[in-house]
Amino acid sequence: MSAPYKAFKQGLTSCLCCHQLIILPTTGRCRCPRCGARVYARIDGSRMLTWALTITGALLLLPANILPVMTVTYLGAGEPNTIISGVTQLYNTGMWGIALVVFAASIAVPVMKLLGLALLLVQIQLRIPFDPLQAMKIYRVVSGIGRWSLLDLFILSILVALVDMGFVAQVDAGPGSTAFAAVVVITMTAARTFDPRLIWDACDGDQGHTTVVPETAHRSGAENG
Amino acid sequence: MEPVRSVEPIFWQRACHECDLLLSGHLAPPGRALICPRCHCTLQRGTIRGIYPTIALSLTGLLLFVPSASLPLLTFSLFSLGAENTLLNGVQALYQGGFIWLAALVLFCSVLAPVGKFLLLLFLCCGSAWGLLDRPVAHTVRWYQLIKDWGMLDVYMLGLLVALVKLQDLGKLEVEPGLYCFGAMMLVANLASLSFDQNAIWQRLAQRRAARSARR
Repeated sequence: MSAPYKAFKQGLTSCLCCHQLIILPTTGRCRCPRCGARVYARIDGSRMLTWALTITGALLLLPANILPVMTVTYLGAGEPNTIISGVTQLYNTGMWGIALVVFAASIAVPVMKLLGLALLLVQIQLRIPFDPLQAMKIYRVVSGIGRWSLLDLFILSILVALVDMGFVAQVDAGPGSTAFAAVVVITMTAARTFDPRLIWDACDGDQGHTTVVPETAHRSGAENG
Repeated sequence: MEPVRSVEPIFWQRACHECDLLLSGHLAPPGRALICPRCHCTLQRGTIRGIYPTIALSLTGLLLFVPSASLPLLTFSLFSLGAENTLLNGVQALYQGGFIWLAALVLFCSVLAPVGKFLLLLFLCCGSAWGLLDRPVAHTVRWYQLIKDWGMLDVYMLGLLVALVKLQDLGKLEVEPGLYCFGAMMLVANLASLSFDQNAIWQRLAQRRAARSARR
């Protein structure tokens, strides 16, 4: 297999914002002359940041699932609901379609996102042989589905406004919802900081980017200090 | 302290932004998409009529925002007690319950980001006609890319539908005209971001720059 003709080997890189091809200066980073976005050979510290955000997201999943998300009070009686108990309640009342939608959006999507990102990172770092096209498919699914997990919070905000009748019926938000919002925001950011070009670097056996990253990190530290 | 000076933009080539493959530069023919041969990601989508549909769609979206934010979306009544849901009073209820961050997130994703997207698209497409605005337009592209993912009207719409079914046997739930406006705004928002072609903007700016240097 002939080596692919990659921009990085020619000292070029493309701006991730406007896709302009740029000659990379020796510092390894600059501003895009066309749109002003930061340009790197590979996103600075992409693997480290994505790991950090993935682990944070996984830890935050615990309070999001243990703490109550909403309290439904109906005729004076009510109990706090977690995400899972809300889904099982929907299922028990016969609304299995909605239960499925809510389950997919608020449990399956965040967990699958975190697992997918962890899988990609492990594959890249341990250099396990893998099919890059399949990895790209995982990456695209992970970055595409993230927004749908906000569904539960939108439902919550709608219900809080709609069902507000004091003693008769009331829906209140619970502390778990803030944790869940944090999970969604953090996993979306994690998917953004992951640089898919690293997948292809690992697949081609290129080490080039590793020489650039520590140098730029050092340089920016010196500039700030 | 000017590292950018050594940087020259190159017009005859492009690199795939997902796999870094160098490709000789072509633009997609109208109505077709340019796809990377290696990682199959979409590099660019050629639009049929340039930027004009985007202007029309974002204006429509801004107009539709007025009724969908001011009219109630759903009303719910139980034993002669009633409450209604508008785009903003859910945020207000969360804020009053002490969930400030949650309220801010919902406000940003369901109101600020979609409206911001419409405004930025309008500014991009109209502003690219004036030479004076070259720099702001170029920087607006960056802002647009930043908030693009955070406009979640379609997710909010699904949330409304779920709430609609969920509350149906609890009390009397009615669909209000605001919901239709909101649905239309969601459709228009998706169409506007689909119809937007960054390349059309960059080509306009590049043409003007070429004309300016030729005059000199």
